[in-house]
Amino acid sequence: MSESGSDGGKWLDAHYDPVAGLYTFSSCVDLADLSGDGESRLVVGDLGCGSYSMKLKVYRGTVLMSESTLLDLPAGLVAFFMDLHEPRIPAVAVASGPCIYVYKNLRPYFKFTLPGLEVNTLEQDVWQQVKEGQIDPLTLKEMLEGIRKKANIPLSVRSTRFLSLETSDMDAFVQLHNQQPIRRQTVITCIGTLKKSTADEDGVSCLVIGTESCDVYVLDPEAFIILSKMLLPAAPITMDVTGQFDVEFRITVACRNGNIYVLRRESDKPKYCIELSSHPVGLVRVGKNVVVGCTDESLQGFTQKGKKLWRIILPAPVITMAAMDLPTRGFQGVLVGLANCEVQLYRDKNLLSTFKTPNVVTSICFGRYGREDGTLIMTTKGGGLMMKILKRTAVFDDRDSAPGPPLAQSVRLNVPKKTKLYVDQTLRERENGLTMHRAFQMDLSRLRLATAKAYVKALESSLTPMSSSLSEPIKMNAVVQGLGPSFKLTLNIQNTAACRPIMNLAISFLYDESLYRMRNPYMRIPLLVPGLIYPVETFVECTSDKGISDIIKVFILHEGQSSPLLTAHINMPVSEGLMLS
Amino acid sequence: MGLFDKLAGWLGLKKEVNVLCLGLDNSGKTTIINHLKPSNAQMQDIVPTIGFSIEKFKTSSLSFTVFDMSGQGRYRNLWEHYYKEGQAIIFVIDSADKLRMVVAKEELDTLLNHPDIKHRRIPILFFANKMDVRDALSSVKVSQLLCLDNIKDKPWHICATNALKGEGLPEGVDWLQDQIKTMRT
Ligand SMILES: Nc1nc2c(ncn2[C@@H]2O[C@H](COP(=O)(O)OP(=O)(O)OP(=O)(O)O)[C@@H](O)[C@H]2O)c(=O)[nH]1
Ligand SMILES: [Mg+2]
Repeated sequence: MSESGSDGGKWLDAHYDPVAGLYTFSSCVDLADLSGDGESRLVVGDLGCGSYSMKLKVYRGTVLMSESTLLDLPAGLVAFFMDLHEPRIPAVAVASGPCIYVYKNLRPYFKFTLPGLEVNTLEQDVWQQVKEGQIDPLTLKEMLEGIRKKANIPLSVRSTRFLSLETSDMDAFVQLHNQQPIRRQTVITCIGTLKKSTADEDGVSCLVIGTESCDVYVLDPEAFIILSKMLLPAAPITMDVTGQFDVEFRITVACRNGNIYVLRRESDKPKYCIELSSHPVGLVRVGKNVVVGCTDESLQGFTQKGKKLWRIILPAPVITMAAMDLPTRGFQGVLVGLANCEVQLYRDKNLLSTFKTPNVVTSICFGRYGREDGTLIMTTKGGGLMMKILKRTAVFDDRDSAPGPPLAQSVRLNVPKKTKLYVDQTLRERENGLTMHRAFQMDLSRLRLATAKAYVKALESSLTPMSSSLSEPIKMNAVVQGLGPSFKLTLNIQNTAACRPIMNLAISFLYDESLYRMRNPYMRIPLLVPGLIYPVETFVECTSDKGISDIIKVFILHEGQSSPLLTAHINMPVSEGLMLS
Repeated sequence: MGLFDKLAGWLGLKKEVNVLCLGLDNSGKTTIINHLKPSNAQMQDIVPTIGFSIEKFKTSSLSFTVFDMSGQGRYRNLWEHYYKEGQAIIFVIDSADKLRMVVAKEELDTLLNHPDIKHRRIPILFFANKMDVRDALSSVKVSQLLCLDNIKDKPWHICATNALKGEGLPEGVDWLQDQIKTMRT
């Protein structure tokens, strides 16, 4: 008895029979205390394999207790209380074709057939003529084909069967059938139960059936008369019923047109409609919300009025769905059987647990089985039967076990309260928005102007000139030290490139030779490593004693090129040494 | 047998032992204990136990006080509160309930791993009850399914019983009595 991976050992593997030979769907499985001894049995409408060996099977514990043959493929099965007799033993209703077979104490008790549909009068006339021998089967075939093309009421099964026959078989068919009146029947697509007047667990329930002809009928459980008939825009495939017939009820039906309709007591037409983006596979009601599994591998939540709450993507297509209600622990969830041999449990959009199954699960049923409240019963595609029991100590944390945004993301930040200052400020901003924007724009323009002026000034006075060449970006500033007549001129040269060194540079000076004398007016610059500042020093002597000064122009040149990379003007200070002497 | 026990035996005083009777609901705990009581104290109708009930019965040399716990899921968390007082355990299994054998095993494992039980050499008597039911598992099969062979540090014994007729009960109670007498006082 292994504990399977990510479900954290929440389930006990009570039983697995891979060759139980049970081929069924969630709609044909129910749990009920069929013998009134406090032990619930499993009732299954087994579809068998092929169009025979359909059976009604009852399990007690791990053993098959009884089986009886079903006449037609079951479309749905429910256990329900049809009367108030003691001991309180529920009956079983099996829907197949146009009929509901009711079993009491596992013996056939009653058969209810849906009312026939309207028959095409032209078709009726034609068959009448055949009966009276006025027309032969070939003419009949022609006429029926004509009717089939034009009529808005479809042909009966008998006529369509007749049209598909070989000419040789027609006579015999006509002979066999022409005495009976024509009937047109619909078939049941889904079945549910609705409490009559009390919400008690063992209260008498009405049967609710959905048909291929888009009708929903509510049947009286004792007299089997139709209490209510409602019309849907499309054929129903699965439904959920809640409430009481005499008080207030709600039938949520998933339909073949991809919509979900909600029927209420007051009206025979749907009250709400949920339009899905893809076709529904399963529908489960959890409290007041509806959870729908769709063919686009999504699971979606809606309020009962059709407001979409959430949508999540599943790892594989949905095969079947069932509710997991555990009232003793106040737990409600949705079990989803997936095509990748996994069963997942969701509470709202949070994935609580996942377990693997040996085969694809085709039916899921959760509830009280035997004496155990939390039993999960599943059948597989290969006919296997699997029973798991929820551990008494199992807890499902609210946290989502699906990978996704971290928990911290949903933690509320401690945003401080809005202070009076904040509110005043906000008000002021709202009222004076225009002037504030203008003031800002003006300040911005001023700032730009000031920047431009400063730049121009810097350019003019060569404060820290920069080379504009992209291949040899160089920055230089010049410092003049000394009082005169001798000055020390230091040029700090920096290569501002990110990583490329610069080679073969030279410095030359241009000055008034009558005023200044320079020791070496032409110097070579060593290789400039990016980022480092290279001080280049030279001495300038002022030869004039008239107390005047001039500018010295500095050029940085690339060897072999005549245009300088960078030029700078140095405003020389007045030589004070001479004046003093 | 110690001197005190001999003395007590002569004086008609019997050593008192507290026994916990555990097992899933409907396994037959109350029915078993009812059968062990003197016939004038036996009940006619047995109903599912609510919470627990305290019963007393005597054997040749011991006086038993049994805590008959309810096995229903919602009362099973009461069990552990009595583990400290218990000097022996009777664990009853419905051998006809194959489906819930895993649940019985789960509860047994929880019991054996409880700090109040884990390190004590407390004797455990298993009753594989309802052996009269058709398709009931044998006591060997039950002990296999419950993995009783894994219990190494506690004396244990299993016997198949039919609590309605009392079959198999004396054998088990004799074993329990021997175990308790060999325990240090
Ligand atoms: N056939 C058969 N039935 C038994 C046997 N022992 C008990 N029962 C029946 O099993 C049912 C439950 O017995 P209880 O003694 O109430 O079970 P319990 O373990 O005390 O149950 P809780 O008090 O709910 O924990 C009763 O209907 C008994 O008659 C047995 O050996 N064979
Ligand atoms: Mg009891």
